[in-house]
Amino acid sequence: MNKINTLQDLEEIKKRVRPLLAVREDTNFARFKEARQIDVLVCRGTGCTAAGADEVEDAFREAIKRRGLEKRVRVNVTKIGCRGFCEKGPNVTITPGDILYTRVRRADVDEIVEKHLVRGEIVERLVYVDPISNKPAPANKDIEFYKRQRRIVLFLNGLIDPWSIEEYIAFDGYRAFIKALTSMKPDDVVEEVLKSGLRGRGGAGFPTGRKWGMVRSAQGNEKFVVCNGDEGDPGAFMNRSVLEGNPHTLIEGMLIGAFAIGNVRQGYAYVRAEYPLAIETLNHAIKQAREYGLLGQNILGTGFSFDLDIFPGAGAFVCGEETALLISIEGKRGNPRQRPPFPANKGLFDKPTTLNNVETWSIVPQIVLKGADWYKGVGVGGNAGTKTFCLVGKITNSGIAEVPVGTPLGHVVFDIGGGPPQGKTFKSVQIGGPSGGVIPIEHINTPVDYESVTSLGAIMGSGGLIVMDEDSCMVDMAKFFLQFTKDESCGKCLPCRAGIPKMLEILNKITQGHGTMEDLDVLQELAEMVGSASLCGLGQTAPNPVLSTIRHFRAEYESHIIDKKCPAAVCAGLFRAPCQHTCPVGLDVPGYTAFIKEGRFDEAYRLIRQRMPFPSVCGRVCNHPCEGKCRRGQMDDPVAIRHLKRFAADWAAEKGFEYTPKVNGKRNESVAIVGAGPAGLSAAQDLAMDGYQVTVFEALPVAGGMLAVGIPEYRLPNEMLNAEVSAIEKLGVDIRLNTRIHDVDALFAQGYKAVFLALGAHLGERMRVPGEDVKGVYDAVEFLRNVNLGREVETGKKVAVIGGGNTATDSARVALRMGASQVDMFYRREKKDMPAIEEEIVAVEEEGIHIHELTAPTRVLSQEGKVTGLELIRMELGEFDKSGRKTPRQIKGSEYSVACDTVIQAIGQRPDTGFTEKYGIKIGMGRTISADRRTLATDRPGVFAGGDAVTGPWTVIEAIAAGQRAASSIKRYLQGQELGPRVDREDQETFLIPRPEDVEDVKERSRVTISELHPGKRASSFKEVNMGYTAQEAMSEASRCLRCDAEAGGE
Amino acid sequence: MQKVEQSVDLELPVNKDSAEYAARILRDVNEIVDLNTGRSGRLIRVLQQSQQRVGYLPPEVLTAISQVMKVPISEVNGVVSFYNFFTTVPRGKHVLQVCLGTACYVRGGQRILDVLKKEYHLEPGDTTPDGILSLDTVRCLGACALAPVVTLNGQVHRRVKPTGVKELVSRCK
Repeated sequence: MNKINTLQDLEEIKKRVRPLLAVREDTNFARFKEARQIDVLVCRGTGCTAAGADEVEDAFREAIKRRGLEKRVRVNVTKIGCRGFCEKGPNVTITPGDILYTRVRRADVDEIVEKHLVRGEIVERLVYVDPISNKPAPANKDIEFYKRQRRIVLFLNGLIDPWSIEEYIAFDGYRAFIKALTSMKPDDVVEEVLKSGLRGRGGAGFPTGRKWGMVRSAQGNEKFVVCNGDEGDPGAFMNRSVLEGNPHTLIEGMLIGAFAIGNVRQGYAYVRAEYPLAIETLNHAIKQAREYGLLGQNILGTGFSFDLDIFPGAGAFVCGEETALLISIEGKRGNPRQRPPFPANKGLFDKPTTLNNVETWSIVPQIVLKGADWYKGVGVGGNAGTKTFCLVGKITNSGIAEVPVGTPLGHVVFDIGGGPPQGKTFKSVQIGGPSGGVIPIEHINTPVDYESVTSLGAIMGSGGLIVMDEDSCMVDMAKFFLQFTKDESCGKCLPCRAGIPKMLEILNKITQGHGTMEDLDVLQELAEMVGSASLCGLGQTAPNPVLSTIRHFRAEYESHIIDKKCPAAVCAGLFRAPCQHTCPVGLDVPGYTAFIKEGRFDEAYRLIRQRMPFPSVCGRVCNHPCEGKCRRGQMDDPVAIRHLKRFAADWAAEKGFEYTPKVNGKRNESVAIVGAGPAGLSAAQDLAMDGYQVTVFEALPVAGGMLAVGIPEYRLPNEMLNAEVSAIEKLGVDIRLNTRIHDVDALFAQGYKAVFLALGAHLGERMRVPGEDVKGVYDAVEFLRNVNLGREVETGKKVAVIGGGNTATDSARVALRMGASQVDMFYRREKKDMPAIEEEIVAVEEEGIHIHELTAPTRVLSQEGKVTGLELIRMELGEFDKSGRKTPRQIKGSEYSVACDTVIQAIGQRPDTGFTEKYGIKIGMGRTISADRRTLATDRPGVFAGGDAVTGPWTVIEAIAAGQRAASSIKRYLQGQELGPRVDREDQETFLIPRPEDVEDVKERSRVTISELHPGKRASSFKEVNMGYTAQEAMSEASRCLRCDAEAGGE
Repeated sequence: MQKVEQSVDLELPVNKDSAEYAARILRDVNEIVDLNTGRSGRLIRVLQQSQQRVGYLPPEVLTAISQVMKVPISEVNGVVSFYNFFTTVPRGKHVLQVCLGTACYVRGGQRILDVLKKEYHLEPGDTTPDGILSLDTVRCLGACALAPVVTLNGQVHRRVKPTGVKELVSRCK
């Protein structure tokens, strides 16, 4: 222990200690075997310690001693502080070589010591694997998560032992303070901080230099410097990381501040009580600083005295607010007060005070040491410095990311964070904690700087980034934050105390299904009032989550209010079970699953069939949104709802079971439906059930639309489809094939009282590249149609399919079955962005079809009018577009060609709506028909439209739902009633669903695998690939259902 | 939650009505108050350290603090009722805290509470009738990357599944 009296003393410690730490910066693993010193760095932050790092550290010491390693080489086992990689902890780095081991348990230590320390070999299984690329990245410097950051606040975290002041000094610690103290004037220090552009990192972003200047010039000869370490924002833990990983930088920053401001002899660090380790670490650092003469009286004999005391918080979020914090330090209730007077003039104990955030304080030493220009230079787009962000929530790489201020938000969330895991779709990122707002995908390119974020209705805040995906409800999030601020409100002022609970009441009403559109207006008004009239920052910003979610996700609020639907299936007050709620037709999934479990298959079938007419079809091809919300999926695998539906349908078909809905009465009105696809036929069934005369006009020679001419036989056998179509015909629906309709007026003239346009989207988009008008280039929709209709189709041997959706995968697999010996798919984005259903992508690759990503066609090569090849260009990903995916752009000069004799374009479809405008029916984007999304009414009275013709290519189940919605609207229209947003449809039979048994312990059990045709056998025929469950398998799978509908009983 | 630098003996007494008990409380409170001489915000620090020792803040301790520090009992109660950390009711033998910070909430923290309500009829703030287990919510422990987080007697458990919390509870005897 050396007391420091001069800069020289500091230099000597650095000279002595730095070489001992050099090994930590040696990233060359090749040198490991000859190393004279090995450092084993064990992270002991809160996260890693919670995961057992304390045991790991002990185990290392034990094992090293036991192995007698010390005889050969010097081994240091050192505690390091939080590196912001907590999700992968316990983290252990071994140098030289900078190798990182993640999720290290006590039981792993012996192997690491034996293999790595003794034999110099890497323990492969514990190395970090990049979750996006799936490639191992053994060294810290190779890890993308770190590589893409710019760490200046956190740069010593993970490098030094936070319990050693000398290690801090070895890396130039306290040098800045001594430089300021001995060779600078206080005004110069303030000037330097001002010039650097440093802004308060606690959230408000007030220029730090300016604040210091104000305190410096305030009247009084007793002033204070205070550190805000309350970090109350849930989801923010970067301050914790600094306190646990590099506490001395905070002490040094406050020393410099105290010196710069003048007349400061005492400082306080307010640290929340929920951070016991941080308090302990900082406490120890303070003690050390005192011992080394850097805190206390007459520091370095200059007459400057300063000491630091820790004040532990007591669990009040409002004490993160400046005036509340200062009052709390005085031992009182943490009620904020009005400003002015500002703490700069009248703060702690009514004396001039500067309060700064931990992160602000901790960058000050480097600014003084390296200069304002250095700090200004780090930062993008005119901003200075970096900001630490905590990436939490639905995010693949969870941890702390430090980036230059002004970095695009998408870069932080997707390139560093890796986006949501498990292939879920990003929805929004919440920034600024309970005072902040949400940023949706449309604004993901926004630079993260104070002004840009504020203009979007959010705030920078302390830097917590809560990433949310398709399973998060924005209305629920607003409610969550209001519950928080309501609890934490100090109660002093009326707008906050009474306004927040009132807003919460309205939100509860909405999430319980009783909300009205007027409520939304009142909510907004209240929010604006609370925001403008509250006394302190807590109340002023509490409405932000509400205002921000209404602004960016209004449709979601409207869905809760008008449709009584929570798209994320979170607001339990609106539904019985998430699967049923998510299903566009509301199938009673828990019901039929329960029946299957008990072997009551006929009831299962009837329960499904009464709700919609295509169980067999959907059981095979539905994209199953229900499974995405299945709660079982949070345990192991979602229940195989689709396979179960198929089982029930197939069982019924096998038994010759016929289901005929009852027809209620007879009505004289006739309705014309254009298009015999799933939308048209579903509408036809419902109208026929109510006794209307229905005629369905179909241009093709078969009924079923895309079900018949799009989806290939090996996915949906025609036989199964035709059976379900016949059942609809048996109700008296007249299906006229080979009849194309182009004249809407004529339909009315013929006596039809209402028309439903369910045209689908059967026109394929063209690539629009030179050379595409030759033999061998097909439009995918036409190709599939011709194959399905049994027409002559010339498929070559080497087939190239352009596109990434289901039409593309269908085309590729069909081409194989038509005799191609090689099929390749070319997609312009990355494979993970392909819109095709996951199972199809897997199937494609199983059948030997190769998917080439990031490539697009530029020219078709041909000879004598026939395709000989394709010229393509490589793509790279640029900025995010509105769909949440990065826009691909061509890499100039990267053209290349491949040989092929057939090209199938599957890059998009649109409806054939050229004729409709003439009849007063408006067309919208993508040539789709404009119709009200809830009533499906078009501009022309009596004409309704739904399905792909309105939405563009979408799913079968949505088309069926649209058909039912159209039927409901048409009935109202014909009966002279007002059209409404709800679908009127009554189930004809009631069923008594079996009650769930009380399950004591639910054990993890994977989904029952469904039998499939062996990949080798598939391509030779159009035989159905998926072979369905046996009864045993179905019952076993059905018993995995958690019966979420049972819990709803208590609501 | 916060470590007291020197341990002060403030054992649970046998007979709360005895003069001996009152005297002991007074003596111990005096020690804690002296320990914190000259430090800012002494009242809060004294309350924290007293609660650390006893496990909660019974009325006799609050009265003693008021007496020794010459602070009106209303002010003492005002501070106790303001800060979440202070509790005037005894806690159970084991304390389970479920974090309801945003990250933990987004990753299923609420469902953990739902399971506890359904299986054990426990809501935040409750203690089981046999005094074995208390349930609390806490707003963010700073271990967000490990969400959802639950602590049992201060020990942090990470990535807790609703089924896993039942196992934790069964350990509490």
